[in-house]
Amino acid sequence: MTVSIGAKFENSFERWFERHLRVLMLAPAMLVLLALTIFPSIYMIIAAATRISPNPDLPWQFAGADNFLRLLTDEQFHVGLWNTLVFTVFAVGTEFLFGLGLALLLDRYIRRLNFLKTILMLPMMLPPVAVAITWKLIYEPQFGVLNEIMFRLGLPLQAWAGDVRLAMFSVIVADVWQWTPFMFLLMLAGLASLPDEPYEAAAIDGASAWRQFWDLTLPFLKPVIAIALLLRIMDALRLFDLVFILTGGGPADRTKTLSLYIYQVAYRFADPSYAAAISLFVLFTTVAFSTWFIKRMRLAD
Amino acid sequence: MAHRRKSIGIQRIAAYAAIAVALVVTLFPVYWIAANSFKYDIDIFSIPPQWVPANPTSKHYHAAFVERPFLIYALNSLIIAVSTTLVSVVFGSLAGYALARFQYPGRWRYQISFWILSTRMMPPIVTIIPLYIAFNHLSMLNTKPAVIIAYTAFNLPFATWMMKSYFQDLPVELEEAAMVDGDTRWGAFLHVALPLARPGLAATAIFCLIISWNEFLLALILTLTERSQTLPIGIAGRVTQYNTYWGEISAAGFTACIPIMIFAFVVQKHLVRGISFGAVKG
Repeated sequence: MTVSIGAKFENSFERWFERHLRVLMLAPAMLVLLALTIFPSIYMIIAAATRISPNPDLPWQFAGADNFLRLLTDEQFHVGLWNTLVFTVFAVGTEFLFGLGLALLLDRYIRRLNFLKTILMLPMMLPPVAVAITWKLIYEPQFGVLNEIMFRLGLPLQAWAGDVRLAMFSVIVADVWQWTPFMFLLMLAGLASLPDEPYEAAAIDGASAWRQFWDLTLPFLKPVIAIALLLRIMDALRLFDLVFILTGGGPADRTKTLSLYIYQVAYRFADPSYAAAISLFVLFTTVAFSTWFIKRMRLAD
Repeated sequence: MAHRRKSIGIQRIAAYAAIAVALVVTLFPVYWIAANSFKYDIDIFSIPPQWVPANPTSKHYHAAFVERPFLIYALNSLIIAVSTTLVSVVFGSLAGYALARFQYPGRWRYQISFWILSTRMMPPIVTIIPLYIAFNHLSMLNTKPAVIIAYTAFNLPFATWMMKSYFQDLPVELEEAAMVDGDTRWGAFLHVALPLARPGLAATAIFCLIISWNEFLLALILTLTERSQTLPIGIAGRVTQYNTYWGEISAAGFTACIPIMIFAFVVQKHLVRGISFGAVKG
């Protein structure tokens, strides 16, 4: 008797399980993601609209839009925003050009490239902290390799990451070293999937290599280029590790990114409300940009 | 392929030269950190730089891993990376399969997929303050589980999308055949789809391992002591305002790169799919 009840229960449980399988399989991931995105978002909105007292026993005071209005007059924030934009445009732009160029070369001239490909993509997978340390070593003004090369070439020695004029350039170079492989790999995959027929037709028509690149290769690559740019821009906008180790945001705030500034406001200036306001600004602009970009490039389909 | 035109000699030589330059530029920094990790301090500071260590020494490895707690940092990194990977791959496979195979009303499949992807758009610095406060309330700051939970959240969108892309590539007929033979949907997933997706599982797992092994910002804020600090945090801690322990951080930094270099060769076939969230087929 008990056995058959047990079996029946098991059976109905199985049926219930099977019927709700879709939800049950989605649930674990969705719950974790909900908890770790919705909760922080709500917290940030509340924190940004209040003035959190350093004394945990005192209640939070409602501050309305004060924290957001501060964004308008805070010069450090403007510097951080400007630095982040400059970094993103020049780093991602250079990575794209180098990556595409290298991919075109390899696709055309080297057939068996798996081993080469793996070596060329190494930098992107290495820990950013190790990469930052390595470049710090290379940029070191006294015993660094870069100044040795400058010396041999008869060029003036530089302080690189420690120089007000060259700090951002140095950060961009290190980032280009690490992330060009990303662009390169995606472009190479895009090139490998190009159809042959249009090129055969173009060759019969006598189209130059340049025309073929401009009229066929680029349009075919557009979806891959769009995805690569989007992922890289999103990462560049949140740059933290590299500047934290390489320059600490200096000299004279020349490499202070928004992420680094939020970190400083929250933990060094102990002002979580204002940090929340800046964070929300970053979040909204990032999401607005990505949504616009995805629509513009018609990536959603 | 036909679109590759027969090339002229000079062009080919120029191309090989450019690729050779790219290889040197790529490899030199990795070589340089390795070379410096085997030099005595006096050789690290030598002017002109010593291109090849004249007196190789394992002194800095001893200093980092025996005298200082870098072995503990590495173990913490390993525990955190493996746990994060396990949870992310299990949850990601379940959700990825559900998104790849089940029917949804209207545009729900697209909406859910896009929402999962969009959680990855959230910059870590934005979520870290609330996470810090929440873990503080739960007395979980400076514990490995806190870091694992945070990392899982950041790996899940990626793991889900990648597994979805692998499941979508499997022929649906095999699962249907199993279900005709009396297997349940769950059974078809467990006994048919999952084993077939093994290469995808391995690739997803390795990417999760690499991402967690490399992560810096979240660990910087959630960890305080050797109890939970990871390798990147330990390395960063030896770069101070007054002194940088070049030998030690080179040794630790190069050590942190070694597993990655091994993994890179293992996942090479899946690279493109992995780094593009499965959006571009490798």
